[in-house]
Amino acid sequence: MAAKAKAKELDTTRNAVPFDKANIPGPKMAKAVQAEMAGKFISKAKRPLLIVGTAAGDDGVIEIVRTMAEKGIPVAATGSSLKRLNEEGIDATYVNLHALVSYLKDPDWKGFDGKGGYNTTIFLGHNYYYASQLMSTLKNFTKIKIISIDRHYHPNAGQSFGNLKTEDFLKALDVVVAQL
Amino acid sequence: MVIKKGRFTIEGLENVQINIGKVTSSDEAEEPQGPTPAPDIHGLRDWDMRLLKRYEPVYSPICDLCCYCTYGKCDLTGNKEGACGINMEAHQAREAMIRTLTGAAAHAGHGRHLLNHLIKRFGADHPIDAGPSNIKAPVTQTVLGVKPETIGDFVPVLDYVEEQITQLLATAHLGQEGSAIDFESKALHAGMVDHVGMEVSDIIQISCLDMPKSQADAPLVDMGMGLIDSTKPVLLCIGHNVAAVTYIMDYMDEHDLFDKIELAGLCCTAHDMTRINTRAKVVGSLSKQLKYIRSGIPDLIIVDEQCIRADMMQETSKLHIPVIATNDKVMYGLPDRSKDDIDDIIRDLASGDQPGVLLFDYDKVGELAPKLVMKMAPIRKEKGITALPDDAEFKKLASSCTQCGACVIGCPQGLEIDKAMEAAAEGDLTLFEELHDKCIGCGRCEFECPKKIPILNVIEKAAQKVIREEKGKLRTGRGQVGDAEIREEGVNLVMGTTPGIVAIIGCPNYPDGSRDVYEVAEEMLQRSYIVVASGCSAMDIGMFKNEEGKTLYERYGGGFLKGNLLNTGSCVSNGHITATAIKVAAIFAGRDISGNFEEIADYVMCRIGAVGLAWGGFTQKALSIGTGCNRLGIPVVLGPHGPKYRRAYPGKAYDKDKWNILDSRDGSVHNVEPAPEHLLITAENKAELMPMLAKLCFRPGDNNLGRMIKLTHYIELNEKYLGVLPDDWHIYVRGEADLPLAMREKLLKILEEEHGWKIDWNKKKILEGPARKVDISFQPTNVPRLCKGAVE
Repeated sequence: MAAKAKAKELDTTRNAVPFDKANIPGPKMAKAVQAEMAGKFISKAKRPLLIVGTAAGDDGVIEIVRTMAEKGIPVAATGSSLKRLNEEGIDATYVNLHALVSYLKDPDWKGFDGKGGYNTTIFLGHNYYYASQLMSTLKNFTKIKIISIDRHYHPNAGQSFGNLKTEDFLKALDVVVAQL
Repeated sequence: MVIKKGRFTIEGLENVQINIGKVTSSDEAEEPQGPTPAPDIHGLRDWDMRLLKRYEPVYSPICDLCCYCTYGKCDLTGNKEGACGINMEAHQAREAMIRTLTGAAAHAGHGRHLLNHLIKRFGADHPIDAGPSNIKAPVTQTVLGVKPETIGDFVPVLDYVEEQITQLLATAHLGQEGSAIDFESKALHAGMVDHVGMEVSDIIQISCLDMPKSQADAPLVDMGMGLIDSTKPVLLCIGHNVAAVTYIMDYMDEHDLFDKIELAGLCCTAHDMTRINTRAKVVGSLSKQLKYIRSGIPDLIIVDEQCIRADMMQETSKLHIPVIATNDKVMYGLPDRSKDDIDDIIRDLASGDQPGVLLFDYDKVGELAPKLVMKMAPIRKEKGITALPDDAEFKKLASSCTQCGACVIGCPQGLEIDKAMEAAAEGDLTLFEELHDKCIGCGRCEFECPKKIPILNVIEKAAQKVIREEKGKLRTGRGQVGDAEIREEGVNLVMGTTPGIVAIIGCPNYPDGSRDVYEVAEEMLQRSYIVVASGCSAMDIGMFKNEEGKTLYERYGGGFLKGNLLNTGSCVSNGHITATAIKVAAIFAGRDISGNFEEIADYVMCRIGAVGLAWGGFTQKALSIGTGCNRLGIPVVLGPHGPKYRRAYPGKAYDKDKWNILDSRDGSVHNVEPAPEHLLITAENKAELMPMLAKLCFRPGDNNLGRMIKLTHYIELNEKYLGVLPDDWHIYVRGEADLPLAMREKLLKILEEEHGWKIDWNKKKILEGPARKVDISFQPTNVPRLCKGAVE
């Protein structure tokens, strides 16, 4: 009920302009998505992969990662996020983000569990410009869905929040996991 | 009799004139020549394809459109084709190639300008003397198959470089190349010729301008914004090409002016100034440029070429700082006063009638600059010119910020300027002091601010305390690594007892401030890696001190030895980094290098644990330097801005078929560990970078001791920065002797329990498990023709 109340008062589609103002890739930019919808998309994904960057170590975000991992979404730990995730007891696999997008692009990659590639990627806790640029690889060269549940609008994602204040961002994450 | 180029007549045969165009030494005639002297753009394509098959290019478009011709704009999103038929992948490859070419052209253009100038000044027969080496120009020799002896011998070398650049650029035209993989091969070619151009540029200036020649104990010089004595007239030189500045230094020496004028440099010109005269000072790297101009301290600015701000005249004219442009690559619309009287020029600049001039007569530059700066200093001091606000203005500016966040969105680093502004309005400067080092000084924030706050000035004013303390030391650029050093150290490198070479190159667009490169260098030095630095990174490494107040250059030797820190010099000295790897192949392994690029690159990739790091790379030159390293088989890591270069060459460790390698003794195929795992890759932050650097020093040719040492560092760094054992450490284990001694028992247990390897616990031996065993005679190669019995 609390999550529903949060969803009602929260609009995560506002201010959907690239956080780095000049980062306008072209005609196809991410659809701004409400947190509830983002949660539903993730819950329906057949082979989701949560890709967690170093900034996910911030308070509040790490609990969301834990919850999503507990819901069975495999976690790829990029940058140096693995250290914090391990300290928190969250099961994750380290991978370099640039290498990961090249793996995701490869139809022969068997995934981290040997069961095949992923059809949906969920980005959380990333250095903005780094993740944005590597989402563009997935956007242009794969059919993989890209959902950004980070704090800032990512034009190269398929779906993204707008630019959010920290408190709204944390509320939005609660709404997302409530859908899982 | 020494035969030189030129024309002469013989007594008695006055009507006969003999012209000598090129003098070929007997050595040159005898030098074994490899299969690809002076390769054209397809000459090394086979080698490129070997690289690109293993390290498949991955593209990260920064723009989904192609705006290259008037067919367009074309939307290539999703790898669609544009009107000309090019798809997104090929377009991105073309974009990367064009940028690589731009970088190569910048270095080669620099080299050509310098070569013309030095030939005019010293003569084409001026001998090459870059240090005590028999291999005088390793990159040139490997690529072109020639052994230059005089600076004039470099004329045809640059002719070759320029021809390749022209031919490559032609392929970018509409209706030419359409294949991504061939654009990549062309980019690799551009990177390779860039290293030739850089080598030429640096060797000729070392030879003619008396710079340190392979000098491990090259002198230390002062560096930092905080050490410039602003009570004296301050003459600031910015750019990369030291030609004009040498005349200023000569004039100042002759007229005993070094005590009266602060002569300072910024960016690579500063490197080269101190290589010539240690009384010159270094302000710092490129990121200090706008900040230092805004400080109002310089009384006169001399610019040459490369990495100079495009808005120089807008910035300097506001502060009544005259600018003298000395190179036709950067002319700012200024009038050419080269033929005018010095006093007239000084009058017009001092009065402000002209904000700057072009001056291509370097004798005049040498005399004019010291005279003008001494005239400008009292004029400017009297007016109290600075862009920085006083205390009252500062508070007013900080208080006028509404925390709208436009500056944050405009900042390439996403720095939280708004929060720092809010704190500053309350009198707390700590956020600005922290932000100062992370700020790259681009000034984009100011264009976004709806209140028109001069944000950069506010940052600099707030960080005055920190800036005053910015005093470091730089070991002046030493140039090449000498043959004797290679003989001494080569065996350690190839055997792996020196765990690797980390070459920290490139620009200061660091993701988290300049301290990162200092910390990377320090940690790798402590671990006995050889750390080589150049350009802006070499400067930033020297800006930080330990508890005893010593910089890394004061704490570590400058020789080519494990645990040493070498500053090769300015941007063009990067050619010496690839040259060092070539020398190891030539001197330690006895490989013929002339016109033999593929074999040498293959050797480097299989044997020499070297990795490049362009942590703050953002220029086209940084890309071309890295791409040239890649073609020679040296992996490169970029910082998180790196994907904006649009492509990388990551490896796929899981794809076993990509890691087949030959044994040149019999041509047999061996499936080996992924070493090096990537050819061009990015890292998100320093913590991710550290173990990656160690890992990229693995090579298939490592012996047990070398692999054990490399594995020790990889595991330790991974545990330190990522908190766990790396999940792939075991794939680098070929036998128990590869295991780090201190962890051997623990690791054997993990191999048995988690990976199912069979262990003989009595003998502590691995019985089954590794993908391959060590064979000390194994001669790894990627090139079939290099195998015994191969048919050419």
